[in-house]
Amino acid sequence: MIFLRRQVPLLITLIAGLAMAAQYYVPHPASEQMLTSVTKWLQIIGGFALVLGVSSLFHVHAAKIRRKEAGWGYSFVLYVSMLGTIAVGLWSNGKEAVDGTMTAFGWFYNFMMVPLQGTMFAILAFFIASAAYRSFRARSREAAVLLIAAVIVMMGRVPLGEYLIPLSGDLSQWILNVLNASVRRAILIGVSLGTVALSIKIIFGMERSYLGGGKE
Amino acid sequence: MTFTERMLKIDRRIIFLVIGLCTLLPLLYPVGLPIKISPEVRGVYDHIESLPEGAVFLLSLDFDPASKPELHPQSISLLRHAFRKNLRVIAMTLWVSGTGMADQVVTQVAREMGKESGKDYVFLGWSPGGTAVIINMGQDLYGAFPADYNGKPTKGLPVLQGVANLRDVNYAVSLGAGNPGVEAWYVFGKDKYKFELGGGCTGVMAPGLYPLLRSGQINGLIGGLRGAAEYEILIDQKGKAVAGMDAQSATHLAIIVLVIMCNLFYFSSRKQRVQGQG
Repeated sequence: MIFLRRQVPLLITLIAGLAMAAQYYVPHPASEQMLTSVTKWLQIIGGFALVLGVSSLFHVHAAKIRRKEAGWGYSFVLYVSMLGTIAVGLWSNGKEAVDGTMTAFGWFYNFMMVPLQGTMFAILAFFIASAAYRSFRARSREAAVLLIAAVIVMMGRVPLGEYLIPLSGDLSQWILNVLNASVRRAILIGVSLGTVALSIKIIFGMERSYLGGGKE
Repeated sequence: MTFTERMLKIDRRIIFLVIGLCTLLPLLYPVGLPIKISPEVRGVYDHIESLPEGAVFLLSLDFDPASKPELHPQSISLLRHAFRKNLRVIAMTLWVSGTGMADQVVTQVAREMGKESGKDYVFLGWSPGGTAVIINMGQDLYGAFPADYNGKPTKGLPVLQGVANLRDVNYAVSLGAGNPGVEAWYVFGKDKYKFELGGGCTGVMAPGLYPLLRSGQINGLIGGLRGAAEYEILIDQKGKAVAGMDAQSATHLAIIVLVIMCNLFYFSSRKQRVQGQG
């Protein structure tokens, strides 16, 4: 059993990882055909992952409702909304509109999901303003630099800012293009090197947490 | 409790009211301040302008309704521009929750510009797999999307004539609100399949994409509502983005004033505390 649970997955990871890494540098038609097949499989697995995710969500919330845990009412709302949407979606064949006429699924999408998601994102502006008032203070030199940069960028990104302080537009562009881009690039390089290191560790079986089952 | 301490602990509902008014009033009474065009937005515009009639333009609407206020106006402007230039438009999405919205915007602009589905444009819809879809399209577009959103087989569509994979796309733009988005299109698409790529994103994401822009990995970037407003001006069709710029100006200014006030009260209360201890 240990062989099936440990060695086989590690072997598959080693072969697949090395093959896919090498594939990028081999333009031979056979190599390209392999990439085509693998990505098709990835898409198929992606579809199944969606089913798995939904069923796992159902399972977690069903347990919450059964045990009447704190906030189980929200889980009930989730159940009703999700089952309702799936039922209506299947009935409408997954289409929001047919020949320009809105289906029931389209009604759900346009008059429930779109406004709800829009509202969630829109109220962020209010919370950001409130948080900025409470916490954006020049407590140290570093915080003061951040504060000044933020004010310049906020001014330079809107017509009123550029109208009141004409230099703010160019200054904001300089901050974004020079200071911001160089720091972001440094972070990106660091993240990329970390990803390469982690990939090597996974391929060669040094990192095995993805296999699950806790510590060996 | 002193005045400054009271001001530092001001009821947040007052701040909400200020922001609400700053958003609402400019929408009711627009001022229409001039908007300067940035080089990153011009990069996308100029590239589409340079494309010959019939060139293949891929627009990936990688966002959901949460980012609609910023990315919807960008989609409309880009589609209007592409259709006006008589480009062959391939639209799609990598975000399942954005499929309906993407279909609506493509259909609406196509109808407005008198374009026909299958002949002048195609909406491929969504396919599972995230970034794998990009690689799959790079290998074989018809394998990734055997049928369009309306169920018509993609093979044989006049709009896709001569297009086998991403290598045959002249210009692609991803309007992304997260992952998968612009970065994924570069890493899994442009880097391997060598097509020209532009990007569009929400305002908060824009600073994160500047390294791609500066290194030429993307040739232009439409950032947030401001970027959408600039594009509307470039194509000379003002819409929701230009209308929203006054509200954005007012809210930015309100937040700046609030931050300055909070710092004034903070330093004043700190001074009072030091004096009290002395």
